[in-house]
Amino acid sequence: MKRTRHLAGVLLAAAALIGITSLFGNDYYLRIVFMMCVYYLCAAGMNVLVGYAGQKSLGQAGLFAAGAYAVALLTTRTELNPWLALVMAAGISAVCGILIALPSLRVKGPYLAMVTLAFGIVVEKLVGEWTEVFGGAQGIYGIKALTWDGQPLTSLQWVWLGIGLCVLTHLLLRNLLQGRFGRALLSLQADEIASSSVGVRVYRAKVIAFVVAAVTCGIAGALVAQQNQYINSDFITFHLSIFILLLVLFGGAGSQYGPLVGTVILTAVDAALARWPSAQHFLYGFLLLFALYVMPGGVTGLLSKWFRRSIEKPELSNADAAPTHIGLAGQGELLVVQGVTKNFGGVKPAQNVSFRLQRGHIHALIGPNGAGKSTMINMLTGLIDPTEGSIRFLGQEVSGQPVHSICCMGMGRTFQNLRLFAELSVLDNVMLGRHSRMTNGFFASLFHLPSAKKQEAATRARALQLLSLVGLLHLAHQPAASLSYGLQRRVELARALATEPQLLLLDEPAAGLNPQETAELGQLLLRIGKCGVSILMVEHHMDLVMSISDHVIVLDYGIKIAEGKPAEVQANPRVVEAYLGVDEPEEAFAAA
Amino acid sequence: MVGALLQAILSGLAVGGAYALVALGFSITFTTTKTLNFSHGEFVSAGAFIGMSALFLVLGLPVTSTTFGQALPGAGAQLLALAAALGVMGLLGWLLYAVGVRPFAGRPGMAWVMSTLGFGVILQSIGLAIWGPKPVVVPGPVGDEVIRLFGIGVRPQELLTLAVAVVIMIGFDFVMNRTMVGKAMRAVAANGNVASLMGINTNAVMIGAFVISSALAGLSGFLLAPIAQASLFMGLTVGLKGFSGAMIGGLSNPRGCVIGGFVLGVFESLVNLWQAQWREVAVFGLVILVLAFRPTGLFGKKLVEKV
Repeated sequence: MKRTRHLAGVLLAAAALIGITSLFGNDYYLRIVFMMCVYYLCAAGMNVLVGYAGQKSLGQAGLFAAGAYAVALLTTRTELNPWLALVMAAGISAVCGILIALPSLRVKGPYLAMVTLAFGIVVEKLVGEWTEVFGGAQGIYGIKALTWDGQPLTSLQWVWLGIGLCVLTHLLLRNLLQGRFGRALLSLQADEIASSSVGVRVYRAKVIAFVVAAVTCGIAGALVAQQNQYINSDFITFHLSIFILLLVLFGGAGSQYGPLVGTVILTAVDAALARWPSAQHFLYGFLLLFALYVMPGGVTGLLSKWFRRSIEKPELSNADAAPTHIGLAGQGELLVVQGVTKNFGGVKPAQNVSFRLQRGHIHALIGPNGAGKSTMINMLTGLIDPTEGSIRFLGQEVSGQPVHSICCMGMGRTFQNLRLFAELSVLDNVMLGRHSRMTNGFFASLFHLPSAKKQEAATRARALQLLSLVGLLHLAHQPAASLSYGLQRRVELARALATEPQLLLLDEPAAGLNPQETAELGQLLLRIGKCGVSILMVEHHMDLVMSISDHVIVLDYGIKIAEGKPAEVQANPRVVEAYLGVDEPEEAFAAA
Repeated sequence: MVGALLQAILSGLAVGGAYALVALGFSITFTTTKTLNFSHGEFVSAGAFIGMSALFLVLGLPVTSTTFGQALPGAGAQLLALAAALGVMGLLGWLLYAVGVRPFAGRPGMAWVMSTLGFGVILQSIGLAIWGPKPVVVPGPVGDEVIRLFGIGVRPQELLTLAVAVVIMIGFDFVMNRTMVGKAMRAVAANGNVASLMGINTNAVMIGAFVISSALAGLSGFLLAPIAQASLFMGLTVGLKGFSGAMIGGLSNPRGCVIGGFVLGVFESLVNLWQAQWREVAVFGLVILVLAFRPTGLFGKKLVEKV
């Protein structure tokens, strides 16, 4: 319903726009509308990269150039059909997008911004100075325009084509961003470690975001080259990169209509100031400097503050009952840790530690501060590789595997210092947990195939079930960060359960909870255990540990000093010594 | 052949000195505030043009002129111009921090990337409005006569650039490691909140970082102007290469940044000897290669995120 209404609205708007432009007799106005379409294409793709994946790229001009020069060379050096050249240009830009994404796998934040900036400059220099191929400032003439019925498109037809492509891009990206992929991108922007721990393939998602931005930008460049039938190095400037980024940030990064708003306003201003280029640049500089300060969410952010919509009411109907079973029924030994050692320089948080976890048991890992408990959890989940030893989960070696694939194998976790995706709703957080269990791929999401629709609905239903298990159903649509600390811990627990784990690792689940909440947590963990999930928790609350766990492992300075039933461990003199210290020798007292 | 090679290495070292100054500037703001000035390149250009306008003023020419003609400024005028470049750039650095960095520092989303970029775009468009896009030939403080050294010709300005860069680096290293001011800066870099609990005025240290960093950019522009002509667009590539040098050396390590700057200058100069149009591609290719194997640079500290 919402979907068809949106589709109808977009088509209606496009039809209206096509109708209005048909009335323009003036080529100048048609040209402005055409440039709006071109810039919207750039901005829409850029929004995926900047607004969703949170990767600042300052080199989009390089991708614009890739598309433009690809059609230029393909149509002037070969007899390729111009339409085919356009498609191939999109492909070539996609390859360039992968190239520019590669550094993003290694570097982050400001480094990445600077690397993309350097990419843009390299392309700018290349097309400017390698004159034998790219023609430099002379440019390439005689690029074949797109044709219709054997005739080159008229100005009006170019505008129609532009509008058509914009509508298509908008609809496809909307499909992509409103489901599994959009959530995954938002999650990696918020917290890459948490994102990979719920099974998101962080690198792959980043590359996809770069490629989407590259393809739309490349198509935009190709359109400009084909419409002008000419391209030279003056088109490709650093200012173009900045302008594309500004379109998104000014309109509102991460919002659906932000790029559109930004494009319409800034292209119009750009056209109005075209006669005074230095005033134009000054304005861009001014906007870059102050726009984010005055309106961090861009124009759409500002507008939505004024027209705040009421928060959706949770649908209680389809969340009938708490789940009775979580995780796949697995076979084989759950987890075997054999001789694991970890050195951080001189610090040894694990020395030749071995233990086994039993299916269906609640295990506790205890020890004084600095005993190496969190390090152990991080090694089990693949965030840290052990220096020596083996960790076998369900019969497979875990160390050396990437974090997301360990999650897919069936290990879920929570973090000692909460790592929720703060800006996303509670429901989205939990749905992200099921990311790795969803099977709809990129293209299924892009075209909103029935499989994607089904997966999305199933995930939503499951997330609501899990929320009702942890008792947070009524808060499903609140932003996660707005909840109190104790409730946030439960959201994280639900998110970990959504990965359908066979083994759940909890890093201090009761930290910061009051005695009442701790007792409730104990009951909840027992219920989760009954659903078929085995648990390993690191915990300092001894009453919780002793009351619910079946088996306790004690670490001290990276060495396992005891394990066994809670009562046995409690009576073990070495454990008492580690926690309370040893009594002074009696002679010392006697002497005093 | 050997002569050409030596020549290339020496001029590479000179330009590398300018890159090293820029790289050091990046390192200073990054370690103290975790932000970078993305318009550092424009600051380099600005330094060149402020020095140039000071020379114009001393010679009695209008500030907006675009050529020195036959006029040759004396040593006093050059020193005055240097002081003007350093002073004005320092002030600009302070202004940049106040309007472009402080409102965003420490917040997620790197809005400061945009705001510092915007600051540079504004500087550049002001410059374009006054002087236009044409480069200006600037007379150097040590004359333009080529000196013969070991059989190769060297321009005195190149030697000066190299010497100034080395002196500044050594001085900076001494201040950072041996004085209380340096300790305070390093404390703020390590943990600003704790540093302020220890009674260090972190805000002042951060302003100082931006002032010094911008002054270094200005110095580098001032020194480069007689070598490469002053142009409003000269800064972009100098800034980028300075940053590349910093990344190769490791942003968190000032000494590494300096080494990275020199290495990059020499590398670029050698590639230039071979194939001029591949210069930029080779330089940035090198950066990506280094980052692929050592994401925090050759001498940078490895970043470990605690989970």
